[in-house]
Amino acid sequence: MISTLAYGLTIGGIFYIISIGLSLTFGTMRIVNFAHALVYTVGAYVLMAALRARIGFLLAALVGVAATIPLAWCIERYVIRRLYGQSIDYAIIATYAVLLIGVDATKWIFGATPMPLSDPIGRHVVLAGVSLPVYRLVIIGVALAIFAGLELFFRRTIVGKVVVAGLEDAEAARAIGLSVDRYFSLVFVVGSCLAALGGILYAPITTLHPYMGFHVLLVCFAVVLVGGLGSMRGTFVAAFALGLVMALTGRFWGPAAETMVFAVMAATLVFKPIEV
Amino acid sequence: MGASIRRWLQRLDLVVIAVVFLALVPVLRVQRTTDFIVFCLYVLSFDLVYGHMGRLSFGHMLYLGAGAYGAALCSAHLSASPLVALAASVAIAGGVGLLLGPLVVRTTGACFALINLAFNQVGHFVVLIAAAAYTGGEDGMTAAFARIGPVDLARRNHMFVFALACLLAAVWLVRRLTGSPFGILLRSVKEKEERVRFLGYDTARFKLAAFVLSTSLAGLAGGLSALNYGYVTPSFIDPARNVEVIFAALIGGAGSVYGALVGGVAYMMISNFLPDYVQRWEMFLGLALLFLVFRFRSGIWGWVARRAPSAAVETEVAP
Repeated sequence: MISTLAYGLTIGGIFYIISIGLSLTFGTMRIVNFAHALVYTVGAYVLMAALRARIGFLLAALVGVAATIPLAWCIERYVIRRLYGQSIDYAIIATYAVLLIGVDATKWIFGATPMPLSDPIGRHVVLAGVSLPVYRLVIIGVALAIFAGLELFFRRTIVGKVVVAGLEDAEAARAIGLSVDRYFSLVFVVGSCLAALGGILYAPITTLHPYMGFHVLLVCFAVVLVGGLGSMRGTFVAAFALGLVMALTGRFWGPAAETMVFAVMAATLVFKPIEV
Repeated sequence: MGASIRRWLQRLDLVVIAVVFLALVPVLRVQRTTDFIVFCLYVLSFDLVYGHMGRLSFGHMLYLGAGAYGAALCSAHLSASPLVALAASVAIAGGVGLLLGPLVVRTTGACFALINLAFNQVGHFVVLIAAAAYTGGEDGMTAAFARIGPVDLARRNHMFVFALACLLAAVWLVRRLTGSPFGILLRSVKEKEERVRFLGYDTARFKLAAFVLSTSLAGLAGGLSALNYGYVTPSFIDPARNVEVIFAALIGGAGSVYGALVGGVAYMMISNFLPDYVQRWEMFLGLALLFLVFRFRSGIWGWVARRAPSAAVETEVAP
């Protein structure tokens, strides 16, 4: 049971790291960025390629995150910004198209066969009589550290405060002369890097395959909805809650784990509807 | 001269559609043409929500799949009559729409798209794993149907005529509907829902009605494809295939009945013949989608309508 809970918190942490970017783009621009799943996939694959070069996990993870910066910047500059202010549907379709292209390119370069990665730490620690991989505890720690860092960023820095203002009411923020849009690309790239980091951290637990982003993206979208649009703390709580839901469901009926997340999402929407 | 021909073409549009599909038969052979017709019906149902009401559903496969499995399950357990099976597929898909609709139609934009997608994922899971004892899981299930009097839908020619009749009826219904005050209301919801509500209309009810109609039509398309193939598989409800219908609606021209038909045929042509020449199909699809979104928003039908202005009475292709 403890190991199930620990697993739930681990994937919760990963969901949180990936969902931040979605929550920010969705909160400020009301855009669903399917390309987020692509960045996540690319991060994990670059990690794998870097690991093959035998440069150590930490350095490989850095390379993976860094590699997605130009990718995210291009997506923002050439796809999303061109569609900003127009019907949201076009942004959904266009980012989905980017995802399709990217996934196919990944398949082209790395092949479609799933690839497992080994645990980079490999050590176990005994906690309350249960042996847990240290790596999973590290993931939880990283998620908490990112949460603390973002809290500081949003509360203590001017840029962070502008972003929060944009999240709460973009129009009002613009009306008092804040150029919300200018900060958007920064927020977008940071969010994408975190998605890549999520992919990198998750890769050793699951296997890599070109379509790995699709499912995770849907779950993370559920996280954003359950947590409440534009609420960073809500996203944090929802990510861990849904991670636990997934782990507990998976313990009793493996294939239903993901579906249960959507059931929770539907229930949340029934009781707390979104009026967009 | 030209104008009067156009007027005649408009009046006889159902005949023109039938003739076009008949003309496709020698090129594609009968069963594939029936497949085209069924897909056109599906695009039509999708476009009712997307083009006319302005809500992009990223999970319409759910309703197609509900119809297909409804027909197959009905033939296995209830009655082998194709008509009962089709009624079941419409009822089940409409029922799913009625169940999810109140939750779904409240939302707009990205939420609408992704909640549909999430439910589609759930439906896929139910068919593939949870109810595998009934649906055959990954293998799918076969569906055998009895004849209706002299009509035997297992024969390809009969199936073709039957599907075409269904499509024409649906075209007539949708055109009738979009031309009515109800259709105007839907288009107003697309433009600015707040103002429609301001005028005193209960928009949630109208949206729900349109949504349920759309899911029922998608269910009909699903039932017809079950009839046409004689089997159903989880690919009928696969969430990854949602992009197909979006692509079709965009390339044809969203918000127009004829656009949906043109888009359905165009997409099926591309997907049937291009993979023989193009190695990287998904990449091609993605690039084509980007092109459609950035450069060719009004689609083929919108492009045609712009070049023949007086024919554009019905085609208000607003982005």
